[in-house]
Amino acid sequence: MRMRQWLVLYRKEQLELLRSYKLLWVPLVFILYGAMQPVMSYFLPDIIAHAGNLPPGAVITIPKPTASEVMAQTLQQFNTIGILILSLSVMGIISAERSSGLTSMILVKPISYLSFVTAKWAAMAVLVLIAFAGGFGGALYYTTALFDAVGWQHSLSAYLLFSLWLCLAGSLTLFFSSWLRSGAAAAACALGVAALLALTSSAFPDALAYSPGVLPHLAYSQYDAAAGDNHTLAVVAITLVSMLALLAAASAVLRKRPSLDAI
Amino acid sequence: MEKLLEVQGLSKQFGSSAKALQDVSFKLGEGRCTALLGPNGAGKTTTIRILTGLLKPSSGSIRFRDVQQVARAGAGAGAGMGAGGDHRALIGYLPQTPAFHGWMSGLEFAQYAAELCGMGRREAAQRSVELLERVGIGAAGKRRIAGYSGGMKQRLGLAQALIHRPKLLILDEPVSALDPIGRREVMELLGELKREMTILFSTHVLHDAEELCDDVLIMESGRIALQGALSEIRAANRESVLLLEIENENVNENENENENAGQPAAREAFVQWLQSLVAPSVSPARSTAPAVTAANSCIIRYELDPLNSCAAKLIVRDIGEARRIVLEQLLARNLPVTKLEIGYSTLEDLFLKVVKHK
Repeated sequence: MRMRQWLVLYRKEQLELLRSYKLLWVPLVFILYGAMQPVMSYFLPDIIAHAGNLPPGAVITIPKPTASEVMAQTLQQFNTIGILILSLSVMGIISAERSSGLTSMILVKPISYLSFVTAKWAAMAVLVLIAFAGGFGGALYYTTALFDAVGWQHSLSAYLLFSLWLCLAGSLTLFFSSWLRSGAAAAACALGVAALLALTSSAFPDALAYSPGVLPHLAYSQYDAAAGDNHTLAVVAITLVSMLALLAAASAVLRKRPSLDAI
Repeated sequence: MEKLLEVQGLSKQFGSSAKALQDVSFKLGEGRCTALLGPNGAGKTTTIRILTGLLKPSSGSIRFRDVQQVARAGAGAGAGMGAGGDHRALIGYLPQTPAFHGWMSGLEFAQYAAELCGMGRREAAQRSVELLERVGIGAAGKRRIAGYSGGMKQRLGLAQALIHRPKLLILDEPVSALDPIGRREVMELLGELKREMTILFSTHVLHDAEELCDDVLIMESGRIALQGALSEIRAANRESVLLLEIENENVNENENENENAGQPAAREAFVQWLQSLVAPSVSPARSTAPAVTAANSCIIRYELDPLNSCAAKLIVRDIGEARRIVLEQLLARNLPVTKLEIGYSTLEDLFLKVVKHK
């Protein structure tokens, strides 16, 4: 019964992603972005040479980066723009429905608030996995074609770790979307918190070794043979727990204020 | 009258502002149609939202009869959840301004609502088609909701509220957004539904309430001002009323201001006559005195129509006697009467009385 209702809610979210073309444009942007980074790195010397504002005779030598470095750079790019695109695309996931008054019709049906929130989360996670698979695949393809092959085990674990980080950012957006009235504020808060997590964990790498903020670093360091194991499993577990907590909090907040037009 | 729902001592306060609801208590009888009346801001929508569970009351309780027994009809009513358990499966709710996913078709939305209420796919599809037909948008079922008119959305909202055959149908101003024809149709539909379920609807169109409901709840600044069966309330508060209107001279006003000087005389005479009917005569020596005292005995008071100074309402005790006196005196004073209506006070009169006197 519960499960069937959850599936109904999830199917609707999936259909919405499809009909609103989010399932098309978010992956496209990610692919474009992922493919651009290795191509840019490859052609950087030519681009600078043709920029035309160098004095004649200037000699520039840019060391050609290794394939692993290129992949790590790409991931760093995704850490800013990827999260931005993601939070912008899911920022209204709850707040928009609430301010339009839809939730006041859906949430009076005998469904659980947690199912409502988790169905949205699952759709968001699917979007993240698909979009980032596209972006990561694009990056991997061009890196392999222009530079060198990278180990697939490293790539797979980097993909999974970074996807988890993106999912956490999405969960943050979902939570703020259920808490705040405005979708833009939700996106801004989610970006802020994600940036704060990443910043604090790089500022205090020892004190916050288990913070979910180290996830992006863990993902980059998959390509760095020198980096040892940084309690990856523990960080993953903590991230999963914090996502669950965010979902529970989002549904509690939603239960407290299922609709806005109450007053 | 077996009661389906009992609400006791409901209060609601938003933040530190004045209380939106104060100690609201009422019962809804099984199979009865109840109208929730009240001026804007009286707390109708707040009450409804508390009933649907969208809003938590600051205090008070809502009890459904046999929640456990009906729980099998829907999901989630299991263990008691707060005051009175989760009774959402029993309720069908249409908000004041229903909103939908524009990218869905009407049929898809109805089906989605049905499946959320625990129906199987096939049953949901069948019921959706049936209900869309019933509310009159069967032909538009396959179109995207984004292209629906306000009236069609209202009907779709009604369909989704009915989809799980609720015990109690709660409608927040169901017809205020509709055109006259749509209004008529929806009222007729509600009239049919009345036989199948208990209905609570809020409205400020008193005529709708009079036409449809068995019981009324009149709210005023967060309290229940008056409640009971419509027929009883009517009988208890019924007054015989005489509506009078004299010719409006203002029609010729465009000609000449001076010429008009003599004309309001009829109106003045009318007002004077009304006063003499009610007030004890100032000079009892005058020849009309006997008639006036006779009038005093059966005419309780008069009210001038605030919108039209040529119209007045006489509230009378003995309709037959009052009619005779009024007709007689109208003739004697040669007042240019255009309309004379004899009847009983309407719900609107009662409503105004209740709301004003609070």
